[in-house]
Amino acid sequence: MLNSKIPEGPLENKWRNYQIKSQLINPANKKKLNVIVVGSGLAGAGAAATLAELGYDVQCFCYQDSARRAHSVAAQGGINAAKNYQHDGDSVWRMFYDTLKGGDFRSREANVYRLAELSAPLIDHYVQQGVPFAREYGGVLVNRSFGGVQVQRTFYARGQTGQQLLLAAYSQLYKMKHAKKVTMFPRHEMLDLVVIDGKAKGIIARDLVTGQLKRFSAHAVVLATGGYSRVFRLSTLAIGCNGSAIWKAHKRGAYFAAPSFTQIHPTALPQTSKAQSKLTLMSESLRNDGRIWVPKKKDDDRKANSIPEEERDYYLERRYPSFGNLAPRDIASRAAKERIDAGYGVGRLKNAVYLDFKHAIERFGMGIIKDRYGNLFKMYKKITGVDAYKEPMQISPAAHFSMGGLWVDYELMTTVPGLYAIGECNFSDHGANRLGANSLLQASIDGYFVLPNTINNYLANALKEEPPTVEHPEFEQVENEVQHHIYKLLAIKGRKTVDHFHRELGKIMWQECAMSRNKKGLEKAILQIEKIRSEFWTDVKVTGSDKEMNTELEKALRLADFIELGLLMCTDALQREESCGAHFREEYQTSEGEALRMDNDYSFVSAWSYSKDGFKLHKEVLKYENVEPTVRSYK
Amino acid sequence: MKITFKIWRQENSNTSGDFKSYDVDGLTEDMSFLEALDHLNELLVQRDEKVIAYEYDCREGICGQCGVFINGRAHGPHANMTTCQLHMRSFKDGGTIVVEPWRAKSFPIIKDLVVDRSAFDRIIEHGGYISAKTGTAAEANAILVGKEIADKAMDAAACIGCGACVATCKNASAALFTAAKINHLNNLPQGHQEADKRVMEMTWQMEQEGFGSCTFTGACEVECPESISITNIAEMNARLVKAKWLR
Amino acid sequence: MFFRKTIIALTGLFLCIFLIVHLSANCILMLPEETARSLYNSYSTALRESPLIKVIAYVLYLSIVLHIIYALIVTIKNKKAKPQRYLMNHTKENSSWTSQNMGLIGILVLLFLVVHLANFWARIKLGMGDVVALDTNGHVDVYEVTYSLFQNIYFVLFYTLLMIPLGLHLNHGLKSAFKTLGFYHKKGLRVLAKVSLFYAGIMAIGFGIIPFIVFFK
Repeated sequence: MLNSKIPEGPLENKWRNYQIKSQLINPANKKKLNVIVVGSGLAGAGAAATLAELGYDVQCFCYQDSARRAHSVAAQGGINAAKNYQHDGDSVWRMFYDTLKGGDFRSREANVYRLAELSAPLIDHYVQQGVPFAREYGGVLVNRSFGGVQVQRTFYARGQTGQQLLLAAYSQLYKMKHAKKVTMFPRHEMLDLVVIDGKAKGIIARDLVTGQLKRFSAHAVVLATGGYSRVFRLSTLAIGCNGSAIWKAHKRGAYFAAPSFTQIHPTALPQTSKAQSKLTLMSESLRNDGRIWVPKKKDDDRKANSIPEEERDYYLERRYPSFGNLAPRDIASRAAKERIDAGYGVGRLKNAVYLDFKHAIERFGMGIIKDRYGNLFKMYKKITGVDAYKEPMQISPAAHFSMGGLWVDYELMTTVPGLYAIGECNFSDHGANRLGANSLLQASIDGYFVLPNTINNYLANALKEEPPTVEHPEFEQVENEVQHHIYKLLAIKGRKTVDHFHRELGKIMWQECAMSRNKKGLEKAILQIEKIRSEFWTDVKVTGSDKEMNTELEKALRLADFIELGLLMCTDALQREESCGAHFREEYQTSEGEALRMDNDYSFVSAWSYSKDGFKLHKEVLKYENVEPTVRSYK
Repeated sequence: MKITFKIWRQENSNTSGDFKSYDVDGLTEDMSFLEALDHLNELLVQRDEKVIAYEYDCREGICGQCGVFINGRAHGPHANMTTCQLHMRSFKDGGTIVVEPWRAKSFPIIKDLVVDRSAFDRIIEHGGYISAKTGTAAEANAILVGKEIADKAMDAAACIGCGACVATCKNASAALFTAAKINHLNNLPQGHQEADKRVMEMTWQMEQEGFGSCTFTGACEVECPESISITNIAEMNARLVKAKWLR
Repeated sequence: MFFRKTIIALTGLFLCIFLIVHLSANCILMLPEETARSLYNSYSTALRESPLIKVIAYVLYLSIVLHIIYALIVTIKNKKAKPQRYLMNHTKENSSWTSQNMGLIGILVLLFLVVHLANFWARIKLGMGDVVALDTNGHVDVYEVTYSLFQNIYFVLFYTLLMIPLGLHLNHGLKSAFKTLGFYHKKGLRVLAKVSLFYAGIMAIGFGIIPFIVFFK
């Protein structure tokens, strides 16, 4: 039975009540406690630095050459906080409600409330760490609004908010490394989890420079490995982002929650060629001042600027008059897909819509638009060669954020005792759809504020147990399994490249398990992915050896897990016979084409366990004691 | 389009390397430079050869992991751009592209085009932060920062740590990188407490790592993807003079 | 490293000031023969006899020596920081030729300096080579030394051509010295760049045409 361990008391007091009751650890004992943190983004670096400050002995891993490269770096738009600096009626409650509603009532009340509650102190923290947030001339912080809400609660540092927050977390982490409280293992990739007597006790990691497999033991393991949308291959994620760590944890007993809840971001750059490896994200903040439109005429071949005003269809403003261009991401993406599929798409491959700044420039002047979005326009020009001050940008939906992830309780612990999942790799706060500028927030809060205050509740008892050691037979066993897995891959020596299989997988996932899904398609997808899996394991070709830096082998190992993850995603999407948030099942829609939620049957979190015979569903029923789930309307 | 790549191949840090040429067909102008290398790697796999190791991650110009010397320029022929933002339309069909790893004593080659930039991390370790623990912060708006100062700090803070400044500098100087971090933090009121210590320790570590000194060729600011101005180095020097001799 | 760069900058700036004085004095050489001779010789005698100038002269020698030694140390260190060169390196596209080749230019300036000192300083101050006569006022006839030297077209060409590296060296050196010492005012740096160019131009042209004027006298 899934126990989410929600604390007693009214919503506002739950987190305080939890902290009052959780166990403490004597500072002298903390240094005897080892914690492994896998991942060094906002969640990982924040947690590793804070745990080290508290006195724990921390080992932190990342596959990149430095913690500063983690993909948190790429979030452009900003971070939300219920500060109500703009005096526009914001509050913790409103932010809680917006997030819950944005997630289409598929997340836990208590978690979401805690997220909103801790958002204000998080801004204080980052300001103290030297994040150069945007300021007014008088010196106070600036806010802007972001998709899906009607108040201004987003803090930002030009178009580089994620980068600036990550640099703060990274430098705090390296401060603790310098203080010898954290040992950093860059260019190390976790390949498996070691569970001893039902508890997470360590990991097997591969040194990506020498290829050597290494064992690491600890009293607790924290996964902060980010999202897995690279399962679609073309996504806004970094090329190295992967689901392997959480997938291995899943296979060792951690439940995987809502795997199919994937956010498709409405404002990425369209695909232009087959060889494309990634879809670049343009910050959603552009939707604050940009207006989205397509021509009213099908297959209109005129240039954007020569299409007169009355022949443009500002479809978001038309369909959602009160939110207009600021409608939540899932809605904006689906609306774009609807127009593109109906034959109104623009661009060479007819796979894009326009994002136009003409009116904003007329209204605010070039100066202000340059100040707000200058670097985004520059980036757009670098990539496409087009000057967006003069003609509208072309944008298109792209796979982005994984709301799904390892199932965690209120303490962020998975179903494997001693194994925690924080940041994007867990399923906790965003429900079926994440609001803009909430991902930096959740990653940071998990890492800085929540985990360091919940892990003690577990570690307090760990002190009494045998200290973990890599000499334990279980370590040997798992290492052998990993080694065998690698040898098996290298021994195939087939005919097709890893990228070939990834493209095939991506095509199926994008077709059947992205913005809109249906039973027939998903069933077909599962069969196709199974075919890809068996072909992969008989016909893939990886050159080089495992005892050296081998980027092809790294890709192959990650893809092997993506294929299995893709199966689970489709299984999950097939099981959930309703539409909610980013999960849109064509069978369940209103006559106007809006999502149709089935609260009576599906107001639960789907948590899947793994076994060789297939995935098994467990339900965590969602109870709404403080809000009434309503139909999400942005009209 | 068809391109001849002339690429530095080196097994690992203990061996010596050499250039190898590869004729690659089937490229298009829309491909990014890294996608062209991906394509080449797929061909190499098909030919039973080891793939070329090169670095990348975000492929949108912000993580700073990619970076190679392309036809005699850090990050390729354009100013202020990362390798991942470079597209094949910048090259002539039928031409040759020479690809070399960053060259600097402090950036030892790990394999092929991959270098070790951990020296940057160690510079940051020596004061590139504000020593405040999680949980000790005061109300955010209690610290007022004027827009000009915030903007100036942001200009410097934008550094992505790619190492192009070191790669292009004839002295392999890390002055621009170090100066950017120092000026980001020292310009903000939050960073004032440790300002002198920061500039002393970070520049000290920069020298320990074996980087050369700045002779103001200005190449770094041209190749910097974030257009960080070389004025930052002069500002760092002013802070250094103050911290060393005018305290 | 920073200390070494500071020494190079400070000595360089001192030498820049010295050059202004030097060029002003050399302007006397452009006057008509008789006036030039007596003025130049009395001026140089006055210099040699002033105790203050004697002190400054030693500072000058020290500056030259330190400037060269530290430049050498820094250059060697910098070369060590970049042991392997690129096969292809288009430095022209991101920086000036001068800034990339200050070492080479510095060596040319040094070459000039050695010849220049041998021609004048060694003869007049150290008394090496032919004895220098006295003029009608009883001053050492430095003018004659100059005049006779610049009757030789090879020396004229040498002195003129090597003013090109001097100018380049001064242009890059002056503005860089300020930046090394921490001058970072944005507008100020733009003005500084123009001042450096102007200064270097005046010095190179000034020192460069005087041998010709003397030659054609």
